[in-house]
Amino acid sequence: MIRLLRAEALKFRTIWSTWAILIITMVLTGGLGVLVGFAPHRHDVEALLFPARGTSSWFDLVFSTMTVSVDLALVLGVICVTGEYRHKTVTPTLLCEPKRGRMVAAKLLSSAGGGVVVGVAGGLTGLVLGIGLVAGGFGDTGRMLTEYRHVFPGVLAACVLYGIYGLGLGALLKNQVVALVVGLGVIAVVEPIVEGVVPSVGRWLPGQAAEALESVAVSASRRGGGGIFSSTAHLITWWEGALVLLAYGVVLAVAGTFTTLRADVT
Amino acid sequence: MTTGTNFSDFAGERRRTSAVGTAPSVEVRGLTKHFGSVVAVDDLTFSVEPGMVTGFLGPNGAGKTTTLRMLLGLVSPTSGRALVNGVAYRDLPDPTRTVGAVLEASGFHPARTARNHLRTIAAVAGIDFTRVDEVLELVGLGADAGRTVGKFSLGMRQRLELARALLGDPEVLVLDEPANGLDPQGIAWIRGFLRWFASSGRVVLVSSHLLAEAAQTVDDVVILANGHLMGHGPLQQLLQGTTATVAVRVRTPDAQRLVSVLQATRPEAGRARLEGPDTVVAEGTTPEEIGPIMAENRIVVYEMTSTGESLEQLFFQMTEGGQMGGHPIGQPWGSVGAQGYASAPPPEEGSS
Repeated sequence: MIRLLRAEALKFRTIWSTWAILIITMVLTGGLGVLVGFAPHRHDVEALLFPARGTSSWFDLVFSTMTVSVDLALVLGVICVTGEYRHKTVTPTLLCEPKRGRMVAAKLLSSAGGGVVVGVAGGLTGLVLGIGLVAGGFGDTGRMLTEYRHVFPGVLAACVLYGIYGLGLGALLKNQVVALVVGLGVIAVVEPIVEGVVPSVGRWLPGQAAEALESVAVSASRRGGGGIFSSTAHLITWWEGALVLLAYGVVLAVAGTFTTLRADVT
Repeated sequence: MTTGTNFSDFAGERRRTSAVGTAPSVEVRGLTKHFGSVVAVDDLTFSVEPGMVTGFLGPNGAGKTTTLRMLLGLVSPTSGRALVNGVAYRDLPDPTRTVGAVLEASGFHPARTARNHLRTIAAVAGIDFTRVDEVLELVGLGADAGRTVGKFSLGMRQRLELARALLGDPEVLVLDEPANGLDPQGIAWIRGFLRWFASSGRVVLVSSHLLAEAAQTVDDVVILANGHLMGHGPLQQLLQGTTATVAVRVRTPDAQRLVSVLQATRPEAGRARLEGPDTVVAEGTTPEEIGPIMAENRIVVYEMTSTGESLEQLFFQMTEGGQMGGHPIGQPWGSVGAQGYASAPPPEEGSS
């Protein structure tokens, strides 16, 4: 299994898509952070959405852009398995590891690892941004780091679980475009609808589960007002979020192993 | 890929024996595959001997690729078994070091370099990365190791595929149409390589539709049509089993007269016919037989050859029979089964 994991890591490292995902993660985190932090606004009117610069809530808002890493971890997990089918490298892959369950297990673990890397890339970008903002005269280091510690662990955990979830989706759906559209479409389109109609179901869906996980520290320490995590009451608890995400990934991967991946490779 | 390569320079140091200390083997027993209502492979049984090159021949759609993919664990058989060294591919303890496979639909990530492509395979099998450059050198891709595969020509991809198959210095080599996309020099190289590989006591099973090429390379043949086994055994023996496949082509200014003479002197020995204004084809005979006849009749001969199409004719005869009625036509094939080892254990003396 160690060899399989090393091979999977090598596969990630030796294609440009992986690096593109990391660069997109960093650009989006940094870019969106600056954008939401310095969006023109009148904070006397919309204080809830645009808190005053340098405040805890403001840092919370800026760091919330690290959550884009989560979606990119999903993309990485999807690519990990669907890329093999798209480029037909699944044939050589199965020739050197003919036991398909083992192949999926290795990919599941390496997608989780990929999630860590994406999460760290987003996290480091957020940290650099935070240091830059403090250096630029907005807030102080202590306040910045406190908010950073609130957001980053949840984002990192969500990245790992989304990597696994993406792998599961890819393993079941096999087609790269379909898996990406379904994966991101559920979060962006289906979930808001379900959330609006049946909130009791919606909060168990992947996007909301991730949000529960991301907002763990925030909701525990939130002393009212500001930031995107200001309203977390409707969410499930962080550990429920973590478990449900893990379940999505593993169940999909197992289902994929017994259906799609079991099929003939021609 | 120079034809003068000393192949043994690239061979591993390992002794050529499988885990249990016996010669490597490939065996197919009652192998059947249905795709929906289509029967792709029907109750196929044959074995492949080590130490020689076995050709796996059949027209397109005969089931060759499906059979090879079942052997490699990529396609699940509907029934029957395909075994390498006595076990199913997915139960092999070290598949990369046991079997090397060159497959048509095998893929490469276009953005990955040739070297990195092979490294991902080597990593799984625990093969040292120095071996990657070694096999790339062997197939003539040493200078292209750092280039992305997306920029490779078909022939280069085929050579990279061969390099991948050789990575684990395997004891069984399975190749699906390896000559595809290769230039004549590359084909000659492959032919030499397969001969060398087999001569070291290893198994080579190579599918092909290029019969003239196969005739020069293979010792044994397994002939498939419509998923059915049409013939199996040493090539020479199969060819001898059918008189119709032997023919002599003669170029002579007296073509018309030669036809008349042959028809008059040997009416029983088949047909002689004009193939062109100065060319006669006499089927069912040999140069030794008609040479004296021509001398006797004072016929000037410019050129006389035994036709190189014998395998082709054999093949058409067998595969057409398969396509028409699902059974081989004519008598010889039943007798081939008895003479050769389609249904009997291999002869001890290895007469071919």
